[in-house]
Amino acid sequence: MAMAMAMASRALLLLKGATPTNHRRLLFTRDIAAFSSSIPPLHARLDRAIVRSCSTSNSPSSLEPPDLPRLAATARISLTPQEIEEFTPKIRQVVDWFGQLQDVELQSVEPALRADTDGDQLREDVPETFDNREALISSVPSYEEPFIKVPKVLNKESE
Amino acid sequence: MALLLCRGIRMYPPLLNYAAFLRRKSHVFYCAMSTTEAQTATQGSQSTPIKISPHRKEKGLDDVLKDYEAIIGIETHVQLSTLTKAFCSCPYHYGSQPNTNICPVCMGLPGALPVLNSKVIECAVKLGLALNCKLNIKSKFDRKQYFYPDLPKGYQISQFDVPVAYGGHIDLDLPVEFGGGHRRFGITRVHMEEDAGKLLHSGNGRVPLLEIVSEPDMRNGIEAAEYAAELQRLVRYLGVGNGNMQEGSLRCDVNISVRPIGQVKFGTKVEIKNLNSFSSVNRAIDFEIVRQALLLSEGQDDQIVQETRLWEEGSQKTVTMRKKEGLSDYRYFPEPDLPGVILTKDYVDSICNCLPELPEVKRRRYEKMGLSMQDILFLANDVNVAEFFDATIAKGADVKLAANWIMGDIAAYMKNEKLSIDDIKLTPQELAELIASIKGGTISGKIGKEILFELMAKGGTVKGMIEEKDLVQIADPAEIEKMVDKVLLDNPKQLEQYRGGKTKLQGYFAGQVMKASKGKANPGLLNKILLEKLNAKS
Repeated sequence: MAMAMAMASRALLLLKGATPTNHRRLLFTRDIAAFSSSIPPLHARLDRAIVRSCSTSNSPSSLEPPDLPRLAATARISLTPQEIEEFTPKIRQVVDWFGQLQDVELQSVEPALRADTDGDQLREDVPETFDNREALISSVPSYEEPFIKVPKVLNKESE
Repeated sequence: MALLLCRGIRMYPPLLNYAAFLRRKSHVFYCAMSTTEAQTATQGSQSTPIKISPHRKEKGLDDVLKDYEAIIGIETHVQLSTLTKAFCSCPYHYGSQPNTNICPVCMGLPGALPVLNSKVIECAVKLGLALNCKLNIKSKFDRKQYFYPDLPKGYQISQFDVPVAYGGHIDLDLPVEFGGGHRRFGITRVHMEEDAGKLLHSGNGRVPLLEIVSEPDMRNGIEAAEYAAELQRLVRYLGVGNGNMQEGSLRCDVNISVRPIGQVKFGTKVEIKNLNSFSSVNRAIDFEIVRQALLLSEGQDDQIVQETRLWEEGSQKTVTMRKKEGLSDYRYFPEPDLPGVILTKDYVDSICNCLPELPEVKRRRYEKMGLSMQDILFLANDVNVAEFFDATIAKGADVKLAANWIMGDIAAYMKNEKLSIDDIKLTPQELAELIASIKGGTISGKIGKEILFELMAKGGTVKGMIEEKDLVQIADPAEIEKMVDKVLLDNPKQLEQYRGGKTKLQGYFAGQVMKASKGKANPGLLNKILLEKLNAKS
């Protein structure tokens, strides 16, 4: 169940679109592919956990159908009309799946936000210099000593 | 206040009209608002139309402002003085080259996992306790998603629905020159987060911050500025940060709305940013109160929109930065990469037991010692000055005299030499010694002052200096009498004039005797003997 929740939050993030820069676009597409393929095994897993069967993916969803162009704009991702057409049903599938998840009876279940580990998992306030800074800088798409150039992300809406 | 007003006019001639009456205004308004709730409430309903002529305009504005009240809340970001960033071990130095102290975590590279700096929790608990907050024994981190050039991972790690501390208050005393008075403002919450906007400028993003959200309890610029000043004091007393506003280590965002007195519903809220000094907090708020109250009084309520405004120091105005941004959707959700933050009772107790005496407690203690509010505010303002004062009186020095020396000659010297109290060579021990030596009559006040400056510049001891320079006060009447006799003998002409009625010459004689004693004669004794001798044969 914890894993399902982790996946769920990840999918939500995906839906809401939090990938900031254009070079992550690849990642985005790949994630969708990875995600769609991971749905069936999850379904199987969930079937055991929930009372009501939810194997049908076209049951009526209580969530808004996704508005792909808006989602893409929120995530600062540019999609071609073809891509929008291609992704819309996939995203819709994810949203519908959440519609099903919402029906799961969780009253008596403690929220599992993360895989908590024992111990406080803190570190001392002792500086350590990361020694492969060169590799970090060299992987930056656009670097102008000493600044990292990033795509314009502010005031996008007003353009 | 008059002085401030003049300066305002001189510095900003193009804005003479608006800025000038604004300055004046804020004071008057402050007086009105600083009275009790009940009083302000009764002031309603006697509105007078705004007059047009420049002179009478001010009067009109007073009347307008009398009918409105401002509701002010402040969000403060305090940068913590940790050696490393919030979630990685990269060192942090203010002002170092951009992108020098970086690692996969603060660069937001996929797969890199954050690990919380334990010092951040310690600072948060300290500040939470100091702000009389309740602590959430179990709190957590959340992701706050938004776009910013310097936010490579696309979200800021912050705390959303379960902050580390909540429901507290802060006490402060308003400066005497602004009418004085004690205030208590509510603290809504304190939460931990990483700084999201520093990488671009200093190569030091991801520095830990505490955000302190106040209740909307402030009513004017002075209260807001003093709230910020008290937070700075607290941060410095606790040693959790340097609280420097100029370098952005303490940043205030002000939320302000204005409503007619008696109206229950809040007015439209406006946020002001770019406030990098206490006086800009004060002036920006008073400007904004006037702006909004004028619009309301003219029936132009629709001109006040929910927006973010920037304070422009040059023109002394607030200007629109972002309009109608809609409710920002930060799409918060629990940060899965970080475990929850759990505070044990032992941990909280251990911090509680190590808290220093806080500004409010110190001020109340000084008050009980009989110091005036002006003295109290001066001494308790700077934690180092307060410690110096406390150490001095711990050595047995007279409280009022110690306060006077610190606030007078020592403060003046520090200001002239641009030194802090820790930089001067004078120790509390020697200040106490100096005060005792003057009080006991070993040295005169004048010589005490000379010694003080030597001690501040070069160090050393009072005793050593008195011996070395042979400065012990002459308090033997016979010795002083001898000196007086010699001076009278050496100045027959002046003596004759004195006895002829020119009694002002007494000062001249006193000066001559003091000079002959190399400043060591006890002044009281000197004058007594001198007067007797001068008037003896007349």
